[in-house]
Amino acid sequence: MTTTIEPAEDEASVSSLISVRGLGVSYDVARTGKKLVAIEGVDLDVREGEFVTVLGPSGCGKTTFMNVIAGLVKPSAGQVLVAGEPVTGPGPDRAVVFQDYALLPWRTVFDNVKFGLEMQKGLKGDGWRDRVQEAIELVGLSGFEHSYPRELSGGMQQRVGLARAIVAEPRILLMDEPLGAVDALTREVMRAEIEKLIAATGKTVLFITHSIEEAILLGDRIVVFKSHPGAIKEVIETGLARPRSERSIQSDPRFLELRDHLWDALQGEATAAAVSK
Amino acid sequence: MTVTSATGTNRIVRPRRVVRSGEGKWAWLLVGVVAAVLLVWEAAVSWLQLVPAAFLPPPTEIIAAFVRLLGEPEFWQAFVYSMQNLLIGLALAIVVGVVVGLAVGWSPVLRFTVAPFLWLLYSTPKVALAPLFILILGLGNESKIALVFLLAVFPIILNTMEGAVTVSPSLVSAGRVFGVNGVYLGWKVIFPATLPYSLSGIQRGAALGFTGEVLGEFLGGTGGLGHLLEFAAYQFMMAEAIALVIVMVIIANLTLWLISTLRRRLAPWYDDRKIVGAS
Ligand SMILES: Nc1ncnc2c1ncn2[C@@H]1O[C@H](COP(=O)(O)OP(=O)(O)OP(=O)(O)O)[C@@H](O)[C@H]1O
Ligand SMILES: [Mg+2]
Repeated sequence: MTTTIEPAEDEASVSSLISVRGLGVSYDVARTGKKLVAIEGVDLDVREGEFVTVLGPSGCGKTTFMNVIAGLVKPSAGQVLVAGEPVTGPGPDRAVVFQDYALLPWRTVFDNVKFGLEMQKGLKGDGWRDRVQEAIELVGLSGFEHSYPRELSGGMQQRVGLARAIVAEPRILLMDEPLGAVDALTREVMRAEIEKLIAATGKTVLFITHSIEEAILLGDRIVVFKSHPGAIKEVIETGLARPRSERSIQSDPRFLELRDHLWDALQGEATAAAVSK
Repeated sequence: MTVTSATGTNRIVRPRRVVRSGEGKWAWLLVGVVAAVLLVWEAAVSWLQLVPAAFLPPPTEIIAAFVRLLGEPEFWQAFVYSMQNLLIGLALAIVVGVVVGLAVGWSPVLRFTVAPFLWLLYSTPKVALAPLFILILGLGNESKIALVFLLAVFPIILNTMEGAVTVSPSLVSAGRVFGVNGVYLGWKVIFPATLPYSLSGIQRGAALGFTGEVLGEFLGGTGGLGHLLEFAAYQFMMAEAIALVIVMVIIANLTLWLISTLRRRLAPWYDDRKIVGAS
């Protein structure tokens, strides 16, 4: 088999749902009065229905990148278009699963998930209760509807965040390490659930992860970030058939090839980051 | 825990829950100490006559005065008068304090322009203004309500403000992502996140406000518990005066207890070990 790890072809010509052009973000660091360049010169196009995973060392600007698409952070250079419109703020077409969960501590699990619905399409009729309940069941939290976030483990809180994001069925799901705090077994179940959900509803997903395996298992494409400053190092098409199961894929030569490649890419990054410190 | 404000080193009391473990043991110790003090006191005044009873009446006499007091309609009139002023002043202080605190805490512009003055006013001994209030607003209820308000409003504003400042940015982000904007953001995110801080400020405001009420009545009033106390003191009815002070202590503590119960009811999710929203 010939080596097939080549940059994914430029999709810009095809009408893309998310289109990132020359994006740069720098933060004002109040303490030192300097500017910190978080990301620089990022270009990316995401097709409707595509599942893109984002991989990169800690602090390389993955969350920043996603926050710009979410409309939470203003770019200092370049722009982001969603469905052809420049992003000026958050919108009901995009939901976020936050890295730090960001649950409302005064609301129960049920009411936190309901939060994903209540401002967007209103709570007309009674159907919303079923939708909230369905989302809770999907993330495996039935029975915890009346618990408060502080009574849940980190992984459980993360799943509440996931339920809150999917309950309103947004067109685009932005997920920031949504399985980071979940144990290996639950992680496996949730990963399968996410894959099923996405396949069934055709959502467009941007999925940040630290895990190489996860990036390969879930992604149609993998975006590898580098740090200092944060930028895209490469974009790889996985080209693996779906549905994928962790067990069967472990022996797939394509999987192994991708994994080795990503290992090398990230290891180089981690070393570079350590040296530059 | 303390928070350093923008202007300096003022302290803000974080909402705190009553310590529960081992409470019973200490309660018994406290009862024992109080009983011993009362016994020594009674012995010193009534039996050994070390102190003239006219200056320091023995506990038995105070208890008798206390019981007598509770049977007098005059006392209950004064009680209602004081509580009415306290409640009105406190209600005004809560509304103004929470709204101003949220606005100043939330808006950076207000925080940098208004907050320094709030701290300045907070640290001014407002008690010194009491005679002025009575001069301007008269001997009636108005001057008392104004004093209660003035003393209660600052802890409420400042605690609410610090609470609003510490609201986790990721909660605000979550709010924005799910379409919560403007006034709704205040109502659905900032206000609930700040509530435990506000309630803690209200608790301190209530204690200070009660002091203001009594002081106002004491300095120049026509009714209320402070007025009764002033009267008893000038008549040299020491037992009555001390009994009245005990009534005030009870009222103050009941108020504090009521508000902390309210806090547990209104914010059952609040966990002292974590700052709100930092989960
Ligand atoms: N609000 C902010 N103010 C100042 N600097 C920030 C802010 N947010 C992020 N940064 C800086 O920007 C850089 C990228 O941060 P970001 O959170 O996007 O990284 P990340 O790739 O998501 O990291 P991780 O994998 O650890 O979550 C970091 O150097 C960080 O210190
Ligand atoms: Mg991150």
